Amino acid sequence: MTTCNDIDDLLLEGDSMAMQRAARHAENCQSCLEKLAAWNEITALAPSLRTTWQSDLLWPRIERSLRAERRRIRPIVWQIAAAFLLVAVLGVTVWEVRRTARQSAFDDAILRMTAVDEVERTERAHVAAIEKLEKLAAPQLENASSPLMISYKEKLMLLDDAIAECQSNIQRNRQNAHLRRQLLAVYSEKQSTLQELVREESHVSTP
Amino acid sequence: MRGALAIDFTRIVTEGPNIEDTARTARSDDRRLAAACAAGDPEVFEELYRLHGDRMKSMAWNHLGNIADAEDAVQETFIKIHRAAGGYSGEAAFSTWLFRILINTCYDQLRRRKRRAEESPIDDDLGAMRAATTVDETKRLALRKLLAALPEQRRSVFVLFEIEGLSHAEIATILDITEGNSKWILFSTKKQLQEQWRAAR
Repeated sequence: MTTCNDIDDLLLEGDSMAMQRAARHAENCQSCLEKLAAWNEITALAPSLRTTWQSDLLWPRIERSLRAERRRIRPIVWQIAAAFLLVAVLGVTVWEVRRTARQSAFDDAILRMTAVDEVERTERAHVAAIEKLEKLAAPQLENASSPLMISYKEKLMLLDDAIAECQSNIQRNRQNAHLRRQLLAVYSEKQSTLQELVREESHVSTP
Repeated sequence: MRGALAIDFTRIVTEGPNIEDTARTARSDDRRLAAACAAGDPEVFEELYRLHGDRMKSMAWNHLGNIADAEDAVQETFIKIHRAAGGYSGEAAFSTWLFRILINTCYDQLRRRKRRAEESPIDDDLGAMRAATTVDETKRLALRKLLAALPEQRRSVFVLFEIEGLSHAEIATILDITEGNSKWILFSTKKQLQEQWRAAR
């Protein structure tokens, strides 16, 4: 048995069977009859609001705006393509520059290492030559009794300390040219001191 | 039609039975149609206008309330279709997608109109064209005024279902709501209209 409370459910369902049940109930219910009449009137009236009109100018207007849109889009497409190309060219350029820079940094490092190795080789030869000289002078220095010899001995000890300090600094920074020059100067000083000492000794021993 | 394109436009107007093959063919036709729109094929647009123009005008008119705005909305919809057709996924029928764009365009216009504070939604230009003033004409105008006062979504559901005869499934896709929601909105809108209608009698 359909009651007034069921009417909303029937209208929500909205199919023909539900509407027939609602109509049967409305036959004996004035309030629901009025509601249903208004509902049906709206439903019947609604399709008549579907309307159209002759508009000869609308399609030409649309056509014109579509043409204008196509003209507007074309340059945009070219602009986008050009932007992509520019980005690609920039990308390749940056990559090439960075690759070259990396290669050049690598080459520089290799060159620096080679130069340092060469300096060290020369230094080792220099040191070997000085050591030979030192061996020649060793007996005189061990038996130093004259003030001159004692002064040579002290000078050589000071030079050895200076050499040790320079070498220790160079260990920390092998590529420091200033330290290398300093070390070379001390070695040269030691070499000339030893040469003087050897010469002095030969003067003394030759009557 | 049109040689290589050969799009079956009749399928776009009335959807065929729900058979998988038919649906697949329809989707493929819709995608080809979208591709042609994206490429800006003028003949395809003309055919779309021939098939859907009247319905689009009616939908727009029932949302915006006057001919000039309705025609502007239809024109703007075609431009938007041209711009957006490349992104058409084929999930919904092309016609449903087209109506969705139209309804959104109408909403945009309504918002612009609100911002301009130019409230002229109902002009009875078409009623005037019909000349004869009958009882039905008075009722039609009364119903239009009630519709114009509805919130956007309620008005759209009523217009699309009761006036344009679309299914709840299509309305759900157009308005991005569920089918059940569409049914419920229609019911509550009609109930609201029914009460206002009775009060006005």
